[in-house]
Amino acid sequence: MSLRNVRAATVRGGRRLALTLGLLVVGFAFSAAAEGSGAATEDDPWEPFNRGMFWFNDQLDVYLVEPVAKGWEWATPKDVRTWLDNFFDNLHAPIDSVNSLLQGKPGDAGIAMGRFLFNSTVGFAGFFDPATSELGLEEVREDFGQTLAVWGLGSGPFLVLPLLGPSSPRDAVGIGADAALAVYTWYIPLSATLSSRGTYVVNSRARLLQQIEDSKKSSFDYYVFVRNAYLQYRRNLIQDKQAGENGFYDDLYEVVPGN
Amino acid sequence: MDSMTISTKWFRATRALLAAVALCVVSGVAAADESAMPARAVVESTSEQVLAVLRDKGVPAERRLEELQQIAYRRFDFPTIGRLVLARGWNQLSGEQQDAFLKDFKRHLSLDYGRRIDSYTNQTLSILGDRIEANGDATVKTQVNGTPSAAVAVDYRLRKIGGEWRVIDIIVEGVSLVSSYRSQFQEIMASGGPNRLLQVLHEKNEQAENAHAS
Repeated sequence: MSLRNVRAATVRGGRRLALTLGLLVVGFAFSAAAEGSGAATEDDPWEPFNRGMFWFNDQLDVYLVEPVAKGWEWATPKDVRTWLDNFFDNLHAPIDSVNSLLQGKPGDAGIAMGRFLFNSTVGFAGFFDPATSELGLEEVREDFGQTLAVWGLGSGPFLVLPLLGPSSPRDAVGIGADAALAVYTWYIPLSATLSSRGTYVVNSRARLLQQIEDSKKSSFDYYVFVRNAYLQYRRNLIQDKQAGENGFYDDLYEVVPGN
Repeated sequence: MDSMTISTKWFRATRALLAAVALCVVSGVAAADESAMPARAVVESTSEQVLAVLRDKGVPAERRLEELQQIAYRRFDFPTIGRLVLARGWNQLSGEQQDAFLKDFKRHLSLDYGRRIDSYTNQTLSILGDRIEANGDATVKTQVNGTPSAAVAVDYRLRKIGGEWRVIDIIVEGVSLVSSYRSQFQEIMASGGPNRLLQVLHEKNEQAENAHAS
């Protein structure tokens, strides 16, 4: 790579970092404002906005992403889709590693990095996952949103982001920071980053065709269903599955006395 | 990147829920001495029973569904699940409405999971551990292997009711079934009260039955 390319990449990376820092500030402001609003209940002060954005995302999914994913599922062998899943998971491993480190979990950081090195080489650039099958090293999933949570930052209210879906101000900041951490994107053209993202989205969506259809069919209010699932899922990830109470409500397992 | 990952993982989990719910259930064969059975053994024998039914693809789906239902009705404590789901809302229902709710909610769960019986593809379940919770409930932690991608964590919450451990919640990758229904039903109760809830539940079941019949 020529010096000019390196410099261009560094500038691009720098811009992303600046953007991320900007997001961070906004995020802290948000969560400061949301502090004391009682995160233990399913508060959703931005519900009208969220439902609007949720609807928008769903339209985009129904009319664009899902049909493309169906075509993709039809056109590609299952193995290819699995290889791509592995490939994208592997790209995320260095980010998992950094976040593990930031959360004071050097063991997990080592596992994530070890997986990355092993799968990138022995696993043919990450298309295979011999780290799990041969070494028994399970995937580590840590993102900067979780890191901020471990550092004691509240999530702020539930927030549905355009295109990205269910989130919170804290997790939105996390997404920005993780994107900046994805160093490889600094060195490839934006078009390559975008087509990689597109492939990732379509490939992942193809895996979920049945599940999402089922969830839409069986839920009573799909928005509330997704919100609850997101909140529970994030909480569980942050607690690393160690906590005694998995439920989102404090009184989840108390039978209310009565008639 | 993050959000897609979450939904990916989460929906992967819902798929396993089929296996999980099914797995979670136990049949009469194991009924010999169940009052003495610890929670972990309940989940273990249940999963074996259910897997046996799921694997037996020679038997018509209808018949297998019935078998699974019998297992489920014996192992799940639907009255408790229903009351936990409604929480404080429970007392807004008359005695009659409560009965109607429990009946239709049970029906909903049967239809919902029964519909997915054929998507079972050789998953296996391993029991990772168990513990007693602060309020005396038991949690049995399991892992469903052989899903399309990574293993899925499924926890069962059991409560000793009438001297037997009975399942009162299933938690898939941290997502509790009771919590999921609670938030949805609260929303409906808040806007339309108990009548609306019963109506919505009933309509949903009819839809599912019609879809099943066609």
